[in-house]
Amino acid sequence: MNADRRWEDLIAVSELETGDVTPVRWRGRDLAVYDTVDGVTVSLARCTHAGANLCDGYFDGKYIECPLHQGLFDARTGQAKARPAWRNLRMFDARVQGGIVQIRV
Amino acid sequence: MSQIPREVLTPITQAMNEGALTRRELKMLMRRSDVPAFLHLLLFFLVLLGTGSLIWATMGSWLVIPAMFLHGIVWVHHFSLQHECVHYTAFRTRWLNELVGNYCGLAILLPNRFFRYEHCDHHTYTQLHGRDPELIELPISLGRYLSYVSSIPYWFQKFLEFGRHLAGRLTPEEEQFIPKEDRASIIIEVRAMAAVYAAILGASAYFGWWGVLWYWLLPLFLGEPVMRAIRMTEHVGRPNVQDMTENTRTNLVSRPMRFLCWNMNYHAEHHYASSVPFHALPELHRKLQGFVHVEDRGYLGAHIDILSQIVGRTPRLGTTASETHEAVSGASGS
Repeated sequence: MNADRRWEDLIAVSELETGDVTPVRWRGRDLAVYDTVDGVTVSLARCTHAGANLCDGYFDGKYIECPLHQGLFDARTGQAKARPAWRNLRMFDARVQGGIVQIRV
Repeated sequence: MSQIPREVLTPITQAMNEGALTRRELKMLMRRSDVPAFLHLLLFFLVLLGTGSLIWATMGSWLVIPAMFLHGIVWVHHFSLQHECVHYTAFRTRWLNELVGNYCGLAILLPNRFFRYEHCDHHTYTQLHGRDPELIELPISLGRYLSYVSSIPYWFQKFLEFGRHLAGRLTPEEEQFIPKEDRASIIIEVRAMAAVYAAILGASAYFGWWGVLWYWLLPLFLGEPVMRAIRMTEHVGRPNVQDMTENTRTNLVSRPMRFLCWNMNYHAEHHYASSVPFHALPELHRKLQGFVHVEDRGYLGAHIDILSQIVGRTPRLGTTASETHEAVSGASGS
């Protein structure tokens, strides 16, 4: 059913904040690109609790902490790990191809 | 796909948009460590041991009263540590923040999880009438000012709140900031605290040793007016507006007071970037100079400012809820 889905370029790997989270504006939406210990992942950047931009939060390579209320998400899976966040992050399929981070849309 | 809340402009995003600091600087300031908090906590306990020793040394004379007051001033600053813990910025290790935050909550009768949820909305709706659950109104008279500082209304409300939660009830206002999924845990938390208090008091009665009164509860009640006065300096008398550059006050205070309050005198900076740990707040203060409201005269200056507004020597910057309502009604009717 996903035959029409294709990979779209998002940002060059060289432009990423090493070991951190990088904000990207894509089709009018804020995305967060994480340079995690397990590779590059991408999610919607807004916290599912109160809408703050997670790109301004504290990231330790695995978990991203909301800068407003310190809710916690696993940046590799999108799973909400600590209150007040309880809804998971919307993640995108992501890969690195030819030095470019791509997401499947 | 889960529903995503509307986009909000957090103070820290606002600060970066305004060029107050760069993303790289922010990330450097957010770095966590367990070491500063352990050292700070060790020294805090040593100070408590010192003031507690004064109570022991003066027991039986009238000097025990000022000794308990002094001990109480230190004791009520468990609040500052608990506040740091609910932001998960005291320790790098998250469970340590939970553990120490709950200990502090027991020490000052402030349930940790409940405070965490309440405090979330305080940061989202700082100084906004009807939305900020921690808002302290600019008193309308000297009498109301003294009443607030006495902390009698504070304890009255706290004990009512504690009893209500013990009975399993939340107010509609509390339900605004506590999600349905976690309401049961708020009730469990307060019942667990009540069980601990009952056990401590029961053990005291059984062994006939009432140190909990002399070294804990009486100093707590004696010291609380100092904490109420400090809490007033953070927002009271600042405008009831959303703008973070206006609604919060940073107070420049002495080193001992900075130590006791875990640098929370840099309150406007804390509201700008609540993920920045206490030990990095002085550096954030230097970066944000000119972007936040600073009271150079410290806590005393803040109270001079508040009192000047109460007696009408300077215009009232804070408004009461009814004044806000009248202003809104007037504007919509004109």
